[in-house]
Parts: sequence; structure tokens; C-alpha cells
Amino acid sequence: MIQFEDVTKDYDNQTALRNINFFIDKGEMVFFTGPSGSGKTTLLRLIYMAEKPDRGRISIAGWEADSVKESSIPFLRRHIGIVFQDFRLLTHRTIFDNVAIALRIRGMREREIKPKVYDALKTVYLRHKSDSYPLKLSGGEQQRVVIARAIVADPTVILADEPTGNLDPDTAYGIMKAFKTINAKGTTVVIATHNRELFRDTVRRVLHLDTGNLVSEDLG
Amino acid sequence: MPLPYTVRLAVQSLFKEPWVNLLSILTIGVGLFIISLAFLIVYNFDMATRKLPDKFSLNVYLDHNLSQERVRNIVGAFREKDAVYSVRHIPKQDALEELKNMLKDSPFVFEGLDDNPLPDSLEIKLKEKALGLETVRALANEALNIQGVNEVDYGEKFLSTIHNLKRGLHSFGAILIVILSAGIIFVCYSTVKILFYRKMDEIETYKLLGATKGFIRSPFLIEGFLIGATGGILSLLGVNAFYYLSVLKLSLSIPLFSSIIFPAQFFLWLPVIGMFLGISGAGVALGRMKY
Ligand SMILES: Nc1ncnc2c1ncn2[C@@H]1O[C@H](COP(=O)(O)OP(=O)(O)OP(=O)(O)O)[C@@H](O)[C@H]1O
Ligand SMILES: [Mg+2]
Repeated sequence: MIQFEDVTKDYDNQTALRNINFFIDKGEMVFFTGPSGSGKTTLLRLIYMAEKPDRGRISIAGWEADSVKESSIPFLRRHIGIVFQDFRLLTHRTIFDNVAIALRIRGMREREIKPKVYDALKTVYLRHKSDSYPLKLSGGEQQRVVIARAIVADPTVILADEPTGNLDPDTAYGIMKAFKTINAKGTTVVIATHNRELFRDTVRRVLHLDTGNLVSEDLG
Repeated sequence: MPLPYTVRLAVQSLFKEPWVNLLSILTIGVGLFIISLAFLIVYNFDMATRKLPDKFSLNVYLDHNLSQERVRNIVGAFREKDAVYSVRHIPKQDALEELKNMLKDSPFVFEGLDDNPLPDSLEIKLKEKALGLETVRALANEALNIQGVNEVDYGEKFLSTIHNLKRGLHSFGAILIVILSAGIIFVCYSTVKILFYRKMDEIETYKLLGATKGFIRSPFLIEGFLIGATGGILSLLGVNAFYYLSVLKLSLSIPLFSSIIFPAQFFLWLPVIGMFLGISGAGVALGRMKY
């Protein structure tokens, strides 16, 4: 499903990731962890092909990073639900529209969009905020909107970058439960976080990054 | 392509940036209005000169004492020419009668006149398409080469004036149309560019969520289309108001204005032209954008 072979990514004069190797199978739930600046976000950006590797091979569900056409990247991304670390919410659109956009870009009809959006909002306990606007929501609520947008289109992979960074432990627990439920239905879930609590009592693979190196792998 | 939603995005954008959009709609409206006025002038000039072939004629004076046979041959030779619409033979007696008729208040002119001093002549009317200065000049030269033709007379000065005026007006009109159209395309181009940059962040998000270029571009094309079409409708209202409120009113007191022809059916194309220019501007803007 997701394969990195000797992947290196440089920014200007600094190496963000060095000789990274791993394979994530379909249906897995995997954590990447490591301190700030260790390269978690960069790794996820390589997966959804917002960045190209400087060396090495990346293969995502059959798409190869070095041969993929610019025009087919949108179709790769439609298989992926992304929880951005910086949210990327549309501030002058309602919560409903923010979630619905993920379906609209796929050309889905409004009639089918409505129930799906409300379902996703229910999953993150925000059904009652659908007519509100992002800046009227708390940081944690905004983060949950981003999660709703990532899951609404039933992607085959979910990439979550620090998905509980703004959440209190209880809400974080709820969100993690939702991810596990989604994963149980067959969706591959990749979570990047420096919060050890999230994987303390799971039996999932945890890959440790440090200053751009993949240093170890264990089970939570 | 998910058309309905992209249309909604375009319309929302129109109302979200009312001033930018209104300004470009007004500019396009004014530009097309000026183009329409130029067209009206050129069109009316052309229509007026179209009646010219009726009035304009080439007068060919023949040598004295030609045989009937020869005159018939010459007439035949002219009739065969492409540019010639009709040939009327005016025998010298008729010409004299006409002259006498014209000068009947001063009959002394003709006193002591035994012989008819006037030659036979041909009055040649030309086809409309042949009424160019070059064609007429060439025809006159050809005529002079025909045996038995003595002199050719036509309103060269008049014809060349009309000709130059027409050519001047046409080039003026064409230049004006090109410049203003380019201006209108530029206005749409700039508007779409401004709107695009303002939405850069939103567009980046759409892309990361998996939007195709088509999805991202179509709202801007639709917006260019709407801006152009609205500007076109505005100019259509403008020329109609101009004609019915000012020209028609003026023609009540100044008769010259009543001969102005208003080709209403042509002006119905204005919204379509505006639409086309709007889409072009948006297309150029999107084509040059890197995102
Ligand atoms: N666009 C960029 N240009 C230059 N350097 C960058 C860019 N993005 C990231 N970096 C650098 O790459 C390194 C890895 O950054 P990255 O964002 O992947 O870290 P991270 O593990 O996600 O950190 P955090 O936990 O703080 O989000 C950092 O040193 C950062 O400064
Ligand atoms: Mg990060």
C-alpha cells in the first residue's frame, strides 16, 4: 500500500529525511512519532505527493512518485483523507461546506453529500455546529472539523498529522476510538504524533523518527 | 465535471468581491458601447455610400461621325465588362435637346448654331462592388484605348474622397475594435488574476484534497463569462438608450439624424461578444498562472 525505499528529502541545505525504508500494508494502523522537526510532516507530504523525494522510491497504492503524472495526482489524493497539522479550513465557509468540499471536488451530487457530511460531523461530535464558521470554533473543535473532512469521502488511507494536538485527553480518546473504528472497517490509518499517550496501550506498529532518520520500530 | 457547484462558486465569488467585479463589468460595458458607436458610424457611412452606384456614372464621349455599327460595337464592348452594370447610349441630338432644355431661359446661347457640336456619349453605371477608385480608373484607361472613344469623364475627385473617407473610417473602426477588445480582454485578465491570487490559499487546499485543474479553473472561466456577458448586456442597453433617447429625439428637430439607420439585430450580438472576450481574458489569466 505505502512503500518507501531509501527515501531522502532535502530542503535547501538541510536534510529533512534520510534513507527512509518502510512498508505499510493495506488495513494497517501505524504511528510515526518523534520530536518536533524530526520529519513527520515531511514524510506525510511525500505520501500525498505534495513533495517529491530527492532520492529513493515511493510507491503509494500503485502510484510511483518518480513517474506519476501531474494530472493524476488529484486522483491519488482522492484515495487519501488528510488531517493537516495546520488544519487548512476555509475560514469564510460554514462547517458543513468545509466538510462537503471533499465530496464536491469529487463531483458528488448535493443530494448524496448532505447525509454523508452529517454522518462525519456526528463522528466528531460536531453535528450541531454545521452552520457555524471555523473561526467561531475552539481549536479542538476546528481540529475535529478537519478530521470529519478527512473521513467523509471514505478514503482507503487516512493520514493524520498531529490529530489530537489541540484536544483534551477525553476528546482525544474519542477521536482515537473513531480512527480505530474506521481502521477496523479496512481503512489504512497513518498517524504522526509526538503524543505518546495515543499509542501507549495499543498493539500497533510505532515508527520512531529522529532528525530525519528512522531510528527504531516497536509495538505501542 | 461538477458543473453546478463550480457555477455556484463563480456566482458566490461575483458577490463576494462586488467592487472588483462591478468595476470590470462597467469597463467592459463602456468599451463595448464605444465599439458599438464606432460600428454605427461606419455602418451608416457604408449604407449611405451604397446608394452611390445610382448616382455615379462614367461618361464616355465618342468621336464625331462614327458609324452606327461602330457605336453599337463600343456599347457592346462596355456591356461585356465585369464591372459594368448598364450602358446608356445618348445620341448627340438627345444631348443637345437636354442642353437646350437646361438653358431654355437663355436661348441666345444657341443662336447661329447650325451643326450640333456635341458628340455621342455613353452613360455607364457600375456595379456596386466595382465602385472602387482603382477599378474605375482602370476602366477609364481601358475605355480610352477603345477605337472611337474620345474622352472619359468621371467624378474622380468625388470618388477618391469617398474612397479615402471610407478607407479611413474602416481602418479607424478596425483599430478601435482591436484596441478596445484587447483592453476588455486585459480587464478580464486582470480581474481574474486578482481574484485568483486572493483565493490562492483556498485553491491550494482544494488541490491537496484532490481537486483537478478543471475544477479549480472552471469557476474563474465562468466568472469571466458572467462578467463579459453582463458588460455586453450593459452596452446593449447603452446603445439602445443612446439611439432611442438621443438620436431619435434629435431627428425630430434635425432631419439629417432621421436618416441614421440603427441595425438593432447586430447589436444583439453584444452580450455574446462580451462573453467571448470575458472567457478569453480568464483563459489567458489561467494559462499564465502557475499553481
Ligand atoms: N518547506 C520547508 N522548507 C525548508 N525546510 C523545511 C520545510 N518544511 C520542513 N522543513 C524542515 O524539515 C525538518 C522537518 O520538518 P517537519 O515539518 O517534517 O517536522 P515535524 O516532525 O512535522 O515537526 P513538528 O512535530 O514540529 O510538526 C525541519 O527541520 C524543518 O525546518
Ligand atoms: Mg509536523
